[in-house]
Amino acid sequence: MDYGITDRVAIVSGGSRGIGRAIAESLLGEGAFVMLAARTQQALDDTAAALDATAPGRVAAVAADMTDPADVARVVDATRAGFGPVSIAVSNVIGHVIDSEREGDGPGAGHFASMPAQEYRREFQHLFVSAWALATACLPDMRAQRWGRICNIGSGVAREPATELPHVLPNVVRPAVAGMHRILAKQVAADGITVNNILTGSILTERNLSYWRWLAAETGSTFEQVTSGFHSRIPLRRQGQPAEMAALVTFLCSQQAAQITGQSIPVDGGLSRHL
Amino acid sequence: MDLGLRDRTALVVGPDSVVGAACARALAAEGARVVKVLADDVDIVVAHADSRGRLSLSDVRSADDLHRSWDVVVDTVELFRSALPAMSGRGWGRFVWVGSAASRSLDAADDELDAITSLAMRATQKVIAVEAGPTGVTANAVLRGGEASPDDVAAAVVFLCSVGAGYITGVSIGVDGGVGASVF
Repeated sequence: MDYGITDRVAIVSGGSRGIGRAIAESLLGEGAFVMLAARTQQALDDTAAALDATAPGRVAAVAADMTDPADVARVVDATRAGFGPVSIAVSNVIGHVIDSEREGDGPGAGHFASMPAQEYRREFQHLFVSAWALATACLPDMRAQRWGRICNIGSGVAREPATELPHVLPNVVRPAVAGMHRILAKQVAADGITVNNILTGSILTERNLSYWRWLAAETGSTFEQVTSGFHSRIPLRRQGQPAEMAALVTFLCSQQAAQITGQSIPVDGGLSRHL
Repeated sequence: MDLGLRDRTALVVGPDSVVGAACARALAAEGARVVKVLADDVDIVVAHADSRGRLSLSDVRSADDLHRSWDVVVDTVELFRSALPAMSGRGWGRFVWVGSAASRSLDAADDELDAITSLAMRATQKVIAVEAGPTGVTANAVLRGGEASPDDVAAAVVFLCSVGAGYITGVSIGVDGGVGASVF
């Protein structure tokens, strides 16, 4: 199927690794131009070089803190200057890591009773403000083209809090992010712009692996005990691949998905229990 | 995008309805073999209530009226149940239900029974997703509403049938231009 996004210009935050990288690769496969944004220059450069080999001249990268609206504006300006007006914005920013010694690379671990209130402000900046800033900065280009695709890599905890894990921050902030995207979808629908939110389940990335290692150490279990116990609760009995996230995001960015907007769509192997 | 459907066998219920025809056409365009009768080689089953009558709850006069709407659930469950063993045996399968976006917002006054039966089918898909997930079979719903055309619906159906959608199961995707009122 020709998704009709050849030469469309996309920005993918968190684009150097894992899910973001898979999305960038998939959009490049459909003929789009892709600007990668992430914090770490070296990882960005490595990914951009690897992707450029498959899509020469169609990928670039800017080191940026996408939780800072000024940095987001800088990325959008660089994208316009390099490739032209932005048509596709994929926000893929993880929650903030409070104590990397205590939680591996996992985001926002902690219980309600022990979580200081200011951490909710930081998590809101990471998950909500980052997505708002990227969407807002790209909207003028999208409105001018009367075509746009905004996609947020959210989390299944937006709809079903993960109360079995000490994840109070994403449990609280993710639903608000989903609501913001739903409102935005209504506001921009008449301009030919769609806005969707992915309810990400358990996807096998490097960061996820390090989280399992941390959780195993934290709970005094082996890595296999932690993961097999978790997999047994997933109907498909496995974690998802980054490419399986990218498949949905790329479809949502397609011409064919013009009528799909305001959706929060799980990619979780059937884990969530809601209809 | 290669959706990985070449030579898969797909059964589309009601291929003469506009939605069924669009789904059959879109699946065929991806190289799937579209059939009209269930056989053991069917990998994909797409069902919908497209050709049924429209009915509001206040227009219901008898239990028979209710059963006429509910028949689509009975028929679809029977079809899906018949198709499941062969899919599970091969470790790959796709069930897609095309229902009503009003099953989320319940604001379609002229077709409330369709919304109600779609709720039941979404629950059916959830149950199939949990029971058949371990054998690599997925079950999802596409909810049509707003100004969405049959081709808009078919694109979402075909995506859910694709290889890349293999980690998506038990899910409902609204294809309604964002007109619904619900967050989820």
